[in-house]
This record gives sequence, C-alpha cells and structure tokens, in this order.
Amino acid sequence: MRNPLAALSADDRALLRRRLRTPVLTFLALLALLAVNVTLGATLPFAQVWIVELLVVAVMVALILLVSMEVIHEPPLVRLFSGLGFFWVAILVGMTLTDYLAR
Amino acid sequence: MSQRLADGVGVARAQHFETVAQQREAAKLGIWAWLITELLLFSALFLVALITRIQHPEATIAAARHLKFWIGATNTVVLICSSLTMSMAIEFSRIGWQRAMVRAMLATAALGSLFLVLKGYEYYADWDEHMMPFLDDRPFALVETPAARLFVNLYYVATILHALHLFTGIALLLGMTCLAAKAGFLSRHQNWIEVYGLYWHFIDLVWILAFPILYVVNR
Repeated sequence: MRNPLAALSADDRALLRRRLRTPVLTFLALLALLAVNVTLGATLPFAQVWIVELLVVAVMVALILLVSMEVIHEPPLVRLFSGLGFFWVAILVGMTLTDYLAR
Repeated sequence: MSQRLADGVGVARAQHFETVAQQREAAKLGIWAWLITELLLFSALFLVALITRIQHPEATIAAARHLKFWIGATNTVVLICSSLTMSMAIEFSRIGWQRAMVRAMLATAALGSLFLVLKGYEYYADWDEHMMPFLDDRPFALVETPAARLFVNLYYVATILHALHLFTGIALLLGMTCLAAKAGFLSRHQNWIEVYGLYWHFIDLVWILAFPILYVVNR
C-alpha cells in the first residue's frame, strides 16, 4: 500500500491537486450556501425569507446530485433514473401543494 | 468514470456480465433504483411537514422554536465534511492510493458517528424540555397547542429514520473499510467504493433537505 501523505513527489502532489479540486470546491460551495441559510434563519430579515431559503436548498441539492454524486458524468440511463426520482417528487409535492394552497 | 482509473485499479468481471463497463453501469443503476425509493420515502415526510406548517402555522412555529437550531446547523457542517472525505476516498480509490482511501473512509465513519452523538444530545435536550409528546410519564411542554404534537412527532419520525440510515451507513462503511484494507481490493472491487459513496452522499442530501424544512423555515 502506498502512503500518499508521506514524502509526496511533485507529480503526486499535482495529481492530488487535480483529483481533489472538484470535491474541495464543492465542499466550499456547500458550506457557503449553508452559511447563507443559517444567517437567514437566525436573523429572519423579511417575512418571505423562506422562499430564498428553499431556493438555496435547491442549489445545494443540485450541487450534491450533479457534482458529488457525479450524475453529470453518468451514462444516459443512470441520468434518466436519477432525474425520474426528482420528477416523481415534483409530481408528489406539486399536486399536493396545489390542493392545500388553492383551498 | 472508469477512464480515470489508475493502472492496476479496476473490477473483476462477474461471469453474467459481458464487459466490466456493463457491470459497473449495472451496479450504479441498481443503487440509483434503490435511492429513488428512499427519496420518495423522505420526500413524503418532508411534504407532510410543509402541510403541517400550512395548516397549523402558529403551532408549528411554537414547536420549531424548541428545536436546537445551532446543533442542527453544526450537524449539517459535519455531514458536508463527511461528504468531502467520502469524495476523497472515491478519488483515492481511483488513483490506487489504498491507505489514503482507507483513512478517508475511517474519517467519514468518524464524522457520521459525531453526527449521531450530537443528535443524541439534541434528543436528550428535547427530553429535558418535555418535548417528547409520545412519552406518557413526561407531560408535553406545548400541551396547550395540540397541533404542535403533529409537527414534533413528524420531526422524530423523519430524524430517527435519517439517523437509522446513517447508523446503517456507518456499519456498512466500517465493514467495507476492513475489506478495502486488504491487498488486491482495488484491482477487483474498486466500484464498491463508488457505489457506497452514492449512498453516503444521499444521506447527506436528505439532511440538507431536512435541516431547512424542519429547523429553518419554521422559525
């Protein structure tokens, strides 16, 4: 087994930087978006702030799905499956809330 | 992603698959089929939380004020960190750095355990504040607002279900770490790490939804 933490060569360091760039950037983006939501939740700056909070969550979910779970790189059939899951959720939420919000 | 694998890293083809690529795709498709059912399960719970808020806004806000917002936020940070370590384990597996991969997997399990410890403390604080309406021997703190009971019960169902998934995930991860530490693992089963990583990221995704829907929007 190789231990990459001990005496990394210049090539290894470059490889590590290249491979971990996307996960680290995703991590930082998720933390920044969470900070936005926590700040909004703690300060409640205006009445309709929940709309912004849910939009931020949607961006976080999209980031995890597309980048962390690598859906963007998957073959079409896997992309279709993952997309279908959220399509069903959209039907579930959309039709139910249409009823409750239109009463 | 198999085109990014290092030499000596790969998957031993099972005889019922024609190619390794087909085997890898089938494994991904299988885990996604299961994750979709999990997504629908949790989505239904979160939808009921939103409906409870629409139907009983005052009671839901009163109940949500008792939730430990900062513990929830800290736990979200912990799970985002665990997603990073899981992604690192996947990348290390692809380049054949087995020891680093094992360490990243252990770090992921440790962060998952930290989440459960914090969640346990949160439940203890809830118990202390009489916020467990299903306990007969401890009168519910919000007994004057009966609808709050709906939201609090839903909160426990959703978070305990998530914690069960996380606990299962940690147990599986530790078991897989034992296997992954053995010589030759990455030349035969590298895709196990990728498939498992999807499950871990999904647990993270569910909490990313649970935190704002239960803790944030009801404040």
